[in-house]
Amino acid sequence: MVGRYIAVLLLGLLVGAALGYAIPKQEECLLERSKFSNPPSGEVTIVYGFDANYPPFTVMQPDGKPVGFDVDVMNLIAEKYGWKIVYKPWDWSTIVAALENGDIDVIASGMTFTAERSQKIWFSVPYYTYVHQLVVRSEDKRSLDEILNSNEYIAVQVGSTADKWADKLLKAGYKFKKLGLDSYVAALEALLDGRASAVITDSAFLEPYLKRNPAAADRVKVLGNLGAPKTYAIATRPQDKWLRDKINEALEELMNSPKWNELLRKWGLD
Amino acid sequence: MPSLLEYIPFLIEGSLWTLSLVALGLSLGLSLGLPIALMKFYGVKLDAYIWFMRGTPLVVLLSLLYWGVFPSFGVELGPFETSVIALGLRSSAYQSQIFLSALNSVDSGQIIAARSIGMRESQVVTYVLLPQALRISLPSWSNEYAIMLKDSSICFALGVMEILTRARYISVATDSALLPYLLAGVLFFSLTHAGTGALEIVYRRVKIKGTLGG
Repeated sequence: MVGRYIAVLLLGLLVGAALGYAIPKQEECLLERSKFSNPPSGEVTIVYGFDANYPPFTVMQPDGKPVGFDVDVMNLIAEKYGWKIVYKPWDWSTIVAALENGDIDVIASGMTFTAERSQKIWFSVPYYTYVHQLVVRSEDKRSLDEILNSNEYIAVQVGSTADKWADKLLKAGYKFKKLGLDSYVAALEALLDGRASAVITDSAFLEPYLKRNPAAADRVKVLGNLGAPKTYAIATRPQDKWLRDKINEALEELMNSPKWNELLRKWGLD
Repeated sequence: MPSLLEYIPFLIEGSLWTLSLVALGLSLGLSLGLPIALMKFYGVKLDAYIWFMRGTPLVVLLSLLYWGVFPSFGVELGPFETSVIALGLRSSAYQSQIFLSALNSVDSGQIIAARSIGMRESQVVTYVLLPQALRISLPSWSNEYAIMLKDSSICFALGVMEILTRARYISVATDSALLPYLLAGVLFFSLTHAGTGALEIVYRRVKIKGTLGG
């Protein structure tokens, strides 16, 4: 029986190891925290971290490769300098820790520049501006204030900047109930099927989404904007000055070229 | 926009990660859990370990190991290895309780009888306790497989792309909140059913009529 126990154990280890071996391996990051402080010698490989949860900036393709506006931007930057890019999906909730730790080298995944974040990670020049919006069903005749004081559900994506907005509004004394969901897509779905009376989202997500889904576009309307515009930027480790300078240089060049407008159009962001 | 059907291979590829995590995690849990159960059976105090491992959420354990314990000891382990260790450590605490209750259910008269015919304690363990306890524990042990299969999705906190993460990505990529998760559910369901079914067959093959659990 003990022999059999060991046999089962070995079988488990073997199966696990075989499966682990069968999975297509990605290049490991070196976990070196300041490898891009100065110009590196030889070929440059950038591990690009993202959470493919945010169309049209980062979306996963059926072949396991990401596409999207941010992915295109990163690819164009890499192309300019001849860098190699390794795609590394990472959970949004731990992505900043992963960047600090060296699991990934950059985050370009619709990451909003905030003062809070820039204590830990340093951002490139901003490359996209958006504004938070309150969305309701088209037939809803109420005003922004009435919705925010209706005591009904307003859906947001948990942990997003819209989530923070909802908290801010609740703290300011508005009377509604927050419905935190997994993604903006789920939040909009909740609005369409009536579980929520409104959604707080941002223009960067909403406009391309409505272009992709004309049926949904007829059923909802933007009631108003919330607060001042925010910007997206590419995040790097504070030490990696060389990398950040290179990214900034490439971004500036790209944004001043006609290619930038093409990219915006391609992803429905214009 | 690619259709949901095109994503099915992508989703199924995730089950390789999941199964790999589970197979290694269960093995590690088994190889630690059984000795822990035996030690506890013989009165060694290991309650603190079990309290800690059972009482901490997996994501806390993962973060603690990956961003706390390993770096401070200079150990460089990847996300996958760390996930296996975290799953294994936690499972060892659960499994030790499963094995302990199985060991306790072996009639104490048998142990006394074995000692009285001159068996050494190691022989009591290998010839009297374990053959019965392992058989008894098998049905509840198969729970551990089913639980870990679904818990392994938390390992995306360290970038391990298993089934549920892929389902979320597909949900976002296809603008549909229901179907990708339904597909993932079917996948989990069949993996759980296949695994527990296999263990059921093992159980039927090894059980002995007339003994406890037989």
